[in-house]
Parts: sequence; C-alpha cells; structure tokens
Amino acid sequence: MTTFGAIGIAATGLTVHRRWLDAISDNVSNANTARSTAEDAFQARYIVAREMEGGGVQVAGALLSGDTEGRVVYEPDNPLADEDGNVRYPEIDMASQLTQLIMAQRGYQANAAVVDRAKEAYQAALAIGQR
Amino acid sequence: MSVPSIAGISGTVPLAPSAPTTPATGTGTATASGAAFADVLGGIDQLQQLQSTADGLAVQAVTGQLDDVHDYTIAATQASLAVELTAAIRNKAVDAFNEIMRMPA
Repeated sequence: MTTFGAIGIAATGLTVHRRWLDAISDNVSNANTARSTAEDAFQARYIVAREMEGGGVQVAGALLSGDTEGRVVYEPDNPLADEDGNVRYPEIDMASQLTQLIMAQRGYQANAAVVDRAKEAYQAALAIGQR
Repeated sequence: MSVPSIAGISGTVPLAPSAPTTPATGTGTATASGAAFADVLGGIDQLQQLQSTADGLAVQAVTGQLDDVHDYTIAATQASLAVELTAAIRNKAVDAFNEIMRMPA
C-alpha cells in the first residue's frame, strides 16, 4: 500500500538482511566441511543486493567467492582422503564472517526500527483532529 | 446563495484531473470533490485485501511455512493502520454531516 510506503520499503530491507544472515550462518556452519581433492573446496557465499525501482532493495543474486583450492590438509584417516592422504578444507575467514554477522544483525534491527517509527508517525497523522 | 466572484475562481481550479466539463461554476467544485472522495472510499477495498493478506500470512506462520517472520508482523501492522484510517474517515464524515444537519432551516 503506497499510503504506508515507508513500511513496505523497510520490509524489503528486512528480507535482504535476513537472507544475508542465512548466507553467513551457512558459511560459518560449513567452515569445517572437508571434501576430497578431486572437488573444489567449499566457497563462501555472498549476497548481492540491488536497489529496486520506487524504493527498497532486493537480492539480485548470490556469488561464491574464495579460493577453490582451499586448504589442503594431510589427514590419512579421513574417509575422503586421496592416495596422498589429503583432503580439502574451505578457506573461510571467521573474522570477516562474524563481522558481517554483526552488520547484518544491526541492519535488520535498523530496518525494524524504521517500521516501528513509521507506524507511530502514521498514527500521529491519524490522531489529528481527534477529540 | 452563491457569490458569483468566488464561484468563478473555484470553477477554474479543478481538484481532480478527471473532472468532467462543468455546466456551471457552482456545480464544478461539487463534482471535483465528489470524484476525490470516491477515490478515498475505494481505499476501503484495499483494507479488505490487506486484512486477507495478513490472515493468509498468519496461517503460514502457524503452520511453519513462513520464511520471513517480519512479513506477517508488517502485514498485520499495515492492516491495523488501514483500519484506523478508515475509522478516522468515517468519524470525520459523520461529524461533517451532523454539522450540516445542525444548520437552521
């Protein structure tokens, strides 16, 4: 409803930040996912956000970034190890991921605050002239 | 009673762009403001749509199919705001009507 436009725009921001949180949690939970050296290592996923026409933001897509080589670790007991005993571990920078986690959380809270304030503002307008 | 000078000014400033050609300047403002008020009344249909959207999202949230929790809370907020807006319109219209009916015959 374009009458309450600020609330709709903040809702799109909430959706994008929620998906960012999902991507970060996916990256962090797969930090120790080992793969055989025949495959690429697990790569961190980044959300690409783009502004929408008429206000708001949307997720334009997701990009995989990081080294496909990963960290080659010598683990002969691992069932995925090749004949040299190597497996691939992903190169996930925990510091960067947790920093992004804080940014995604604060962005989500900021958008929720916008929804609250816009609602109070519209209610103040509706209260004009009320006895 | 109509004051010709004031009626002439108001007739040349239409309130709605789609106002039909006015036969007399006195009735010009009546049709223009009538079209604008009809648009406002059409907002009541949007209220019904907002309510049904909020109800559908509530069902999804309860059955665990909702991806974004904020979708439901924001839809419920917009529906309640639309209800307050409709109530304010009704109050103003009733007050204006009573004010006019109170005029001495």
